[in-house]
Amino acid sequence: MKPIQIKTTVLTLGVVGASLVYFFFNPSRYPFFPKCPFFTLTGFYCPGCGSQRAFHALLHGQLVQAAGFNLLAILAFPFLAYAALVYFMKHVFGIFLRQEIFYRPWFSWTVLGFVLLFWVLRNLPFVCFAWMAP
Amino acid sequence: MEQHEVPASEGIWSPRPKNWLVESILVTIFCCLPFGIVGIIYAAQVNTKFDLGDYLGATRMARDARKWTLISLIVGGGWIILLLGFGLFSSFFFGMHHWFWPQGGF
Repeated sequence: MKPIQIKTTVLTLGVVGASLVYFFFNPSRYPFFPKCPFFTLTGFYCPGCGSQRAFHALLHGQLVQAAGFNLLAILAFPFLAYAALVYFMKHVFGIFLRQEIFYRPWFSWTVLGFVLLFWVLRNLPFVCFAWMAP
Repeated sequence: MEQHEVPASEGIWSPRPKNWLVESILVTIFCCLPFGIVGIIYAAQVNTKFDLGDYLGATRMARDARKWTLISLIVGGGWIILLLGFGLFSSFFFGMHHWFWPQGGF
């Protein structure tokens, strides 16, 4: 096997394995899921807090609950899924799909803006932003 | 992941550097560390600089995007392994007192 084939196999097995774990175990009920280091150290939510619970909810088709745990992860999901599709098609079938959006400056700056805005807003102690907290 | 395009202001052909945007978004969301955001900042600069024709700057930013994404991945991955290990370790040893004091204790 070539290194890229090993990498693709490991990534695919990792994603499938993680999906199975997050499908069958609810991160809010089982204690063995890792806690966010930023939250543990500072007590503030980071932009990724709640993404494990959001992934669990998403795998069960509960889109609204998932967005309540981590809106950013749910917004990013279609793009990440598309990136995974591009990678998979390229390295498994040799088919090259368009992925210009990841190389457009406006897109990456928008991502950065969303992440920073979400990070600040979900930590503000106002009722109107409470739904953004995990 | 690299794409081959020619920036407008450069006469010679140069490959568009891999910008690590998807990877840095992934570590930002799943590794819960602010280092991933540094990766996103560099990834955005790769795109901006390349489109301005600054190929050297884009390559330099791509290197830093890679560096910060990997730092985030390693620190986040280390944290996860540490916590998983500690969780299993402590549940084993804190559960052990039931062998000696079945009625409770501690």
